[in-house]
Amino acid sequence: MEFGPYLFIASLEGAITAAVLALTAVGLSIVFGIMRVVNVAHGEFYMLGAVFAWWITNLIGGHPAVGFVAAVIITPVLVGVLAVIADHLILRKIDYDPERTIVATIGLLYVIQQTTLMTFGPEARPVEAPFNKRIALPWIEYGEQGLALIWPWGLSTTTYKLAVIVAAIFILLMLWLLMTRTRIGLIMRATQLDREMATAHGIPVNKVYALVFGLGAGLAALGAVLIVPIQQAHYLMGADPLLLSFIVVIIGGLGSVVGTIVAALFIGLSDGIISVFFTPTLAKIIATLAVAFVLVFRPQGMFGKPE
Amino acid sequence: MLEVRSIDVAYDKVQVLFNLSLRVERGSILCLVGRNGAGKTTTLKSIMGLIPVRQGSITFDQTVLTTLPPHEIPGSGIAYVPQGRRLFAELSVKQNMDIGLMASGAGQDTYSSVLEMFPKLQERLNQRAETLSGGEQQMLAMARALCMKPEVILLDEPTEGLQPSMIELIRTVILQLKSQNVAIVLVEQHVDTVIAMADSVAFIVHGRNPETISGNELRDNPDRVERYLGVE
Repeated sequence: MEFGPYLFIASLEGAITAAVLALTAVGLSIVFGIMRVVNVAHGEFYMLGAVFAWWITNLIGGHPAVGFVAAVIITPVLVGVLAVIADHLILRKIDYDPERTIVATIGLLYVIQQTTLMTFGPEARPVEAPFNKRIALPWIEYGEQGLALIWPWGLSTTTYKLAVIVAAIFILLMLWLLMTRTRIGLIMRATQLDREMATAHGIPVNKVYALVFGLGAGLAALGAVLIVPIQQAHYLMGADPLLLSFIVVIIGGLGSVVGTIVAALFIGLSDGIISVFFTPTLAKIIATLAVAFVLVFRPQGMFGKPE
Repeated sequence: MLEVRSIDVAYDKVQVLFNLSLRVERGSILCLVGRNGAGKTTTLKSIMGLIPVRQGSITFDQTVLTTLPPHEIPGSGIAYVPQGRRLFAELSVKQNMDIGLMASGAGQDTYSSVLEMFPKLQERLNQRAETLSGGEQQMLAMARALCMKPEVILLDEPTEGLQPSMIELIRTVILQLKSQNVAIVLVEQHVDTVIAMADSVAFIVHGRNPETISGNELRDNPDRVERYLGVE
């Protein structure tokens, strides 16, 4: 395959990474933005999403689409409820203190990871995609008779991969509508801007925090459900999304949802392209270097506001 | 009637209020007067439940506020306009007012009547609060509180840093609230405002309330305010 089509396919792979990363990182971003909690266990909620998706699809059986739809609906709710319980039992008890919550969520990370290992075992678990038709992709080439549409051999993707991108865009759009057009979104934003004044205006801040922590975890779980037919579920799979999510949230600007989405696109696409042309390790090195540059030259991130 | 009975309040190990008592009736204005750091803002925050009370109690009519979780206190009819406005800066004027409306469950009529008091806000409904002028921000802080349909309103230096015309508007609104039988607790450094508006004045010195006098007593002897404020 020539360079152009090769770059196109790499970009498409990157777009899938970006789509799932955007969901996961936005979850981390709203938790930090509203609660000021650095949730080190965020990757484990992602992992739980993938493992639960495997468990639910296996439990239901039958046509893969039935189990998958059930997993898309049940898994984020289940993981969200677990996060709300963790918020109630741990974070609320330490009054959401920024330093102590870091240590507490590190502990939560290991509790979730080891409980998953003991319950579901160490094996990687596949989930069948609900549909997975391979489709050839066209490429435009300049030939003797001008521009022409060609179908290079090997330039293809699957309908499921395209559906992941569309689904992620749809979910992010719904989240944007929730935050900007609904009463609960207004309450969350007011809490983010001034916790004390929110309380003085009758907003039950602790309940908002529980909801936000559950929503953040649910988004990570939803991202994992979407990606698990491509990647498989495993109890150690939470580390990479956590690292990438932190990278994205720092580059985008702590607490900025728009910044997080833009940074997820940048990191996801570069990760996909560099992984295809070079190695995934180099992609991670470059992403980490990007964070270092941002921290040195624009510590508040691309879309963040200076403190 | 709002009554603060012998409260002790502390930030961690540093006690700020000592055995402090106050009371304010509906349709009257209680001014809190004292130097910076005397404990006036802490008193208001304690009433709102934003700082826990270690000893003593705060009641409004039959409700013991000190037993309520802080977010339920506004629902019992108490609104707070903090020093420095503390608006939800990135939200619009309308959204700031909506937050107030949500607290009271009040409807469109409350919203309209508040905008009648501050017609300038009507022109700025979709503007972000942080882009308003200082005077407009103060109007919005009061409008947000009034959307809660308060029976008691706590005002922390509402005229601070404002031009005379704006101070006059704020005074007019306060008197309008008084005429609507709202109880008002006003922290104020402008001596003229205190003398002109107070029905009673509680002096606060180092977290204690050595005396509370009536507005008439104050008007007969205005030097007392200046003494407690340290103004020569």
